[in-house]
Amino acid sequence: MRKRIVATTIFAVLSMVVLMTFAAEAQAKDKVGWVGPVYKELSQSLNKGFKAYYKKTYGKDVDITFVRPGGWPVCVDKIRAWGGKPDADIFLGAGAPAHEILKGEGFLVPYRPKDWDKIPAEWHGMKVKDKDDYWTCFAPWIVTNLYNEKILQRLRLPPPKTWNDLLNPIYRGNIVHTLPYASGTMHETLEILLQAFGEKEAWAYLRSLAAQLARFSTGSTDTTQLVARGEIPIGVAQPQMNAMAARKDGYPVRDLLPEKTILVPEAVALLKGAPNEATGKIFLDWLFSMEGQKYVLEGRYFAARTDIKFSVWEKEGFEMATHAKKALGVDSFWDLDVGFIEYDLPLATKRWDDVNRYYEYEIYRKWSELKSSLSLIEEVEGEVKAAKAQEKDVTKAEAKIKEARKLFETDGKYAEARLAATEARALPAAAGLPTGLIIAIVIALLISVVAVVIALRRRPG
Amino acid sequence: MSRGNIFLAELLWSVIAFLVIYPLSILVLESFKIAGTSSWGIKNYLGFFQDTYYLKTFGNTLLLSLLVLMTTTLFGVPLAYILARYRHWGKTVFTALILLPIVLPAYAGVFAFVIFFGKYGTVNLLLMDTGLIEKPINFIYGLHGLVFIQSLHMLPFIVLGLSAGFTTIDPSFEEAAEVEGASGFWRFLTVTLPLCTPSYLAGAVIVFLWPFTDWLTPLILGQVDFLPSVSYINIAYHFTDMHRKYMGIVAVVVSSIVCISIFLLARWWVERRKYTGLSKGTTSEGRVIEPSGLVKVSAYLYMFFIAGLVLLIPIVLGLAAFSRRWVLEPFPTYWTLENFKLILLESPLLIQNSFVFSGIALVFGIAFGLPAAYLIVRTRVPGKDALDFVITLMLAFPGIAVGVSYLLAFWNTIPLARHWIIMPLALFARRLPYFLRMAHSSYLQLDISLEEASEVSGVGKVRTFFNISLPLLLKGVLVGVVMFFIMAFQEISTAIFLYRGGWETLPIGIYLNWHRGMEFGIAAAMAFLMIVITFILLLIISRISGGVLKAAWGPGGT
Repeated sequence: MRKRIVATTIFAVLSMVVLMTFAAEAQAKDKVGWVGPVYKELSQSLNKGFKAYYKKTYGKDVDITFVRPGGWPVCVDKIRAWGGKPDADIFLGAGAPAHEILKGEGFLVPYRPKDWDKIPAEWHGMKVKDKDDYWTCFAPWIVTNLYNEKILQRLRLPPPKTWNDLLNPIYRGNIVHTLPYASGTMHETLEILLQAFGEKEAWAYLRSLAAQLARFSTGSTDTTQLVARGEIPIGVAQPQMNAMAARKDGYPVRDLLPEKTILVPEAVALLKGAPNEATGKIFLDWLFSMEGQKYVLEGRYFAARTDIKFSVWEKEGFEMATHAKKALGVDSFWDLDVGFIEYDLPLATKRWDDVNRYYEYEIYRKWSELKSSLSLIEEVEGEVKAAKAQEKDVTKAEAKIKEARKLFETDGKYAEARLAATEARALPAAAGLPTGLIIAIVIALLISVVAVVIALRRRPG
Repeated sequence: MSRGNIFLAELLWSVIAFLVIYPLSILVLESFKIAGTSSWGIKNYLGFFQDTYYLKTFGNTLLLSLLVLMTTTLFGVPLAYILARYRHWGKTVFTALILLPIVLPAYAGVFAFVIFFGKYGTVNLLLMDTGLIEKPINFIYGLHGLVFIQSLHMLPFIVLGLSAGFTTIDPSFEEAAEVEGASGFWRFLTVTLPLCTPSYLAGAVIVFLWPFTDWLTPLILGQVDFLPSVSYINIAYHFTDMHRKYMGIVAVVVSSIVCISIFLLARWWVERRKYTGLSKGTTSEGRVIEPSGLVKVSAYLYMFFIAGLVLLIPIVLGLAAFSRRWVLEPFPTYWTLENFKLILLESPLLIQNSFVFSGIALVFGIAFGLPAAYLIVRTRVPGKDALDFVITLMLAFPGIAVGVSYLLAFWNTIPLARHWIIMPLALFARRLPYFLRMAHSSYLQLDISLEEASEVSGVGKVRTFFNISLPLLLKGVLVGVVMFFIMAFQEISTAIFLYRGGWETLPIGIYLNWHRGMEFGIAAAMAFLMIVITFILLLIISRISGGVLKAAWGPGGT
């Protein structure tokens, strides 16, 4: 009898598991899996378009799975972690360095989709497709910064136009960006700065920019969301089409093409060991067809083919073409003229992980230390300047505070910089501003000591 | 002691071994691996406690825990006293409202407060429009915001524990104190409160552990230097940086150890002291006082204040769910059903997944929980207390620990995590204590003589169970079932590590829509949908068990 209870329980559980498994596996369809950092709008649009195309051409349904583990670096890491046995067929999205890394580590197989020759090979020094067919750009864009025009008006702040404008103290606490390991756009921004300004200057710049931030966001979409909703009005390191997408949704967001930037060839590749390679190839062919490219634009990314004219699509009554034309100001993406830097792709590929790690360990993790250090340096700098205005001799203090700034910017030694700033403040010529504060603290301490003594005396026993 | 019972115990233990002990020991083992080599050692732990960043995170988390505990206690004590002792109108309504956050998903609250208290949220916009302030006040981004949001979420645990304590204390203690001349506040401090220690501690432990578990609230507020958020980022963002991954796992293990030690400490503390009175004949209502006018008014104001804050969550989410582009306006101006249309048309899969996974987990829960409760209450099988203990311990484990350990344990050697069945299994393991507790206490209330009578009359144990025990247990079990379902339905910490393309549940959908795009309205609509579903389920339990308080906390007070 008792055994029966047990047996029934086991049987019930087991049979249910088996049944459920069968139910799930019963209708085997043609499948294709995507992994990549593209936004939801694009994956949804491509999903819709490819399903319809597949049904029309092959008379069958196709099952599409899409995983977005995070930004490019997270996706690259996910593919590495699969170790040649991927859980998807297509790497959808991410720019040249991510694809170059995967190609170098042997996670991709070459495939040349139809109409491959409609994609330019190179643009302003940036590779737009791989000559060995490992990866091809399907949706190019430019690294920009965003701002919320309504909030900036409210705060009576002009939009920052250049990289250096962002360091202006008026923007302090009104800027947000994410971490390079969370977002490929942020990583590319670091590369832009490193390659355009030189390594030393770029890291000094990034330290000062970090002090301007309200906070770090958790990803580039999080940045867009914060800017669009106005929580933080300026977002650094954003894909160009995010402004277009946000404006289409009715948010007062505009993009700023900084004076130095790069093209990001959002690309697609076939993964090695893909479980559904054949369907994957059909998808790639479709993606570069005129129809596929329309779904790219419908998914709020700019289409890549050189023979696309937005005005032609506009005449066909395609609403997104109007938005794209308005956002870019030209009739085809490739007509854009922007201040691009000469991008060194091999260098960027080589130091990909190092740059991300350096930023995280030296700037992000020490963020609060960095901010307090810089604010002290700025305070003392102000005092030295004030002392100088009163015609005091400040040569020593000036030298010391310069040293503090160098320790901060170039060496990233925040504690040492703080110390140097304190020393500069203590040098005789610099005015004794904090005496008031010291007196206040001493008085407060005295009062509390007296209070404690009285309290102890009063206590019975 | 029959062989059947022993066999049942063995079976239950093997389930526990497979779903709890095995994965968690893999997690601990993994934390001893050294990156880049195949050797083992305590290097990761040394690194963790030497790295100033991790130490800072650990300190931050402890500080947050303390602050949340202090805040909830400060606000919870008067609230519990009002609810338990004062005779007032609308007691049930207020109790239900104040307890609501227990069943609301924590992230729903965060989203609502970000909309309402954000830099350009409703409050700031209203204040700026009236000219009271020039620049927006930072209400929530920072430690203070975290303390506020987490405290509101955890307040019910303190209130429930304390008000149960206030109700069940033997009134003769307080009367004795009154007779001795101690009156009012003094009596409350020296007699009433100490007597409530056990029931307070039961809630306080859960409150204290919450900041060690909740990775999402700090992440949304952009304050990531807290242990659970750091481990989430380390594990979920870095798949091949082995050192990072191991450090993340170390962080998970450290917080699990902290959680379990505090949990055990509180248990030991309560058991060490005896808090029982001698007399048995106390009223079930406890002492109820008719307060003076002024006290009554301030009590009402206080209750309205807390209940209002709680009510903000569904109201704000509702406003956001039925509107689009609610930005830079104190209240939405563009009303639409588009969000719901999008959820139902484009991603009905999420809703379906949520129901299927929680449903299957529930079946597992019943298949496991009923026999387990039976063993623990009705038999003398050796090791039954240990079984009870292990299952209860699951309450103290952070969801991240369960998720990560399942990912490690069921990927290569036992490839269970490649199949979607892992989702309900994980939900089952994580939420089991909720069901077991309910089944357990209903078993306790079932008089054994009824079963014995049936068996004496010659009916077998199985038929006795189905004909006699089950119908009598049904009420408690049903409450347990619904409670389990609610808790499984809103689970995110474990699921976020295990889901793969196509397995997303509603909570994951909320997170992804919020975090990865501007689909703010959709996230709000999903959260609103979850609240509605939870509310319907709650109504069902309160029908069954005749009281929301009982429903949420189970019969027997604590």
